[in-house]
Amino acid sequence: MRILLIEDDATTAAYVAKGLREEGHVVDHAANGRDGLFLALGEPFDVIVTDRMLPGPDGLSIIRALRLANITTPILVLTALGEVEKRVEGLEAGADDYLAKPFAFAELRARIRALARRPAGASAEQSVLTMGDLRMDLLGRVVTRGARKIELLPTEWRLLEYLMRHPGQVITRTMLLEKVWDFSFDPTTNVVDVHVSRLRRKLDLPGEAPMLRTVRGAGYALGVP
Amino acid sequence: MLVLSLLGSGWGWLRAEAALRQQLDLVIAGEAEGFLRDYEEFGLRGLAATVDAYARRRGPLLVVLLAPDGRAVAGRLPGGQGGAQPELRGFAVMPATAERPALRVLGARLAGGATLMVAADLTPVDRAASALAWTPPIAGGAAAVVALLLGFAAAARMERRLAAASDAAREVIGGDLTRRLPLSGRNDEFDRLTETFNALLGRIEALMVAQRQVTDDIAHDLRSPLSRLRQALEGALARPREAADDNEMLERALAELDAVLASFAALLRIARAESGVLQQGFVPVDLSALVADCAEIMGPVAEESGRALHPDIAPGLSLPGDAALLRQAVVNLLDNAVLHGGRHIMLRLLPGPVIEVEDDGPGVPADQRAAVMRRFGRLDRSRATPGTGLGLALVAAAAQAHGGKLSLEDGAGLLVRLRLG
Repeated sequence: MRILLIEDDATTAAYVAKGLREEGHVVDHAANGRDGLFLALGEPFDVIVTDRMLPGPDGLSIIRALRLANITTPILVLTALGEVEKRVEGLEAGADDYLAKPFAFAELRARIRALARRPAGASAEQSVLTMGDLRMDLLGRVVTRGARKIELLPTEWRLLEYLMRHPGQVITRTMLLEKVWDFSFDPTTNVVDVHVSRLRRKLDLPGEAPMLRTVRGAGYALGVP
Repeated sequence: MLVLSLLGSGWGWLRAEAALRQQLDLVIAGEAEGFLRDYEEFGLRGLAATVDAYARRRGPLLVVLLAPDGRAVAGRLPGGQGGAQPELRGFAVMPATAERPALRVLGARLAGGATLMVAADLTPVDRAASALAWTPPIAGGAAAVVALLLGFAAAARMERRLAAASDAAREVIGGDLTRRLPLSGRNDEFDRLTETFNALLGRIEALMVAQRQVTDDIAHDLRSPLSRLRQALEGALARPREAADDNEMLERALAELDAVLASFAALLRIARAESGVLQQGFVPVDLSALVADCAEIMGPVAEESGRALHPDIAPGLSLPGDAALLRQAVVNLLDNAVLHGGRHIMLRLLPGPVIEVEDDGPGVPADQRAAVMRRFGRLDRSRATPGTGLGLALVAAAAQAHGGKLSLEDGAGLLVRLRLG
């Protein structure tokens, strides 16, 4: 992917750029808002990662400017300000995701991947999601794997739908807490693990190829084995 | 005010003068009418006689009968006809001369060229108009003076009260956060302003207390994990190192750091809730849906640990609030119940609104309930279990932010009552 990183802190920029390049991405870096805006307007990127606090025009101003210029590239905001209100501000300015520092690199990597334009398989308007022999009918509210019908509780349904919209991607616990359950905090109990386990038990029966796997140190992924 | 009165009086004078003139014209016209009827009945000779008789009687009006050549035939006009034009027809004003004041005169041309003139002195009209006109400015002037005096007195009083407010503000700036202004009891606008001012001082105090609390907490309770971290890293540097040990140590260090950061985030959340700044962003929250959601999410978590969650949620309850904070509060309570409570956990939402989480576990001794609701307050028996020790403190702050209260009571085991609104 082609990624634009707008970050004025040299250490963070070096760390993030290096990590992303090791993943195989092409990373352009701007150390201030004006340069970042210039690059974003001139070249097509798959994802833009910008710090919120920047010298010159700040991150949110840049995002607003890009949206006004009809740039629809997905944008992730990095910031030391983690409060929920700040996240809402960022999203309202036009950002697609918001990550508080300090973050685990696996978290950043997973979110960038999730933001990149959806593969041709699953657009937002589709009423049926498919992956291998797994089929989710959003209108009819029916999930089948092969010939087998699967009964899901509402929480499990939301979880499966999110995973199916990000086929093969590593989804972190924090992403599931935020996006599936709207939790802006980390509960003490292992909420995510419990629900993922239950879903897995219904999805991957013994003898079937496992689709929902745990990625150690990162999160979970749903994919065709 | 004086200016307005003067303008008003000028206008008044004009109107008074016009009205009085009109009255005078009517009187003059009335007399002239009488004379003209005499002329119709008795002819010119008869009119002359009537005019003479009127002039001898010295009536209020002046009457004169003029021949076509302008010579006075009957009656008299003091000061002569100087200014009287035999071509006169209708009303006119004759200016004052040495012998007489200004006159309002009505002239009527008769057959044969004679002219009848009936006139009245304008002096009384002028005097009356002036009298009518000058009353408002005099009254206005007097009122203005009284108003000025009252104004000075009020200003002086206001200045004293403003000075008191200014002094109070300076003391708050100087560090006395508890200072407030007294109300005069008069319940006037200044009292209302004082109430608002006191509310503002209260807010400042709350914010500063919250801020101080956070820094205190950080200093006091986060130093331990950070010290442990430092010691571990220092120890590792001092020993001869092997790759396997390194990784394990680094992972532990990372875990310790993450725990500290989690505490940080929780402390900030609590401080924000306590400072009262969240109220600005309050929107209507569907409490029934929110609590039902939490029950659905936490139910399986309870089951996984061998417990059962029993929700009893009244429908249709809502209140203005912060949904994210409320969600975290409810989940914190359920977290606690799953980690420390008994086999059965009752989750209730009642009108109030009131949220109750009751379990049939060991409960919390009455003498420790206050401590447990404070930051980092934990029961001894729970110190080894996971958690920051901040869960209940956040719930208490959330209650406060929504105008309610958190209380721990006796139930089947422990009953936690979160009163909102």
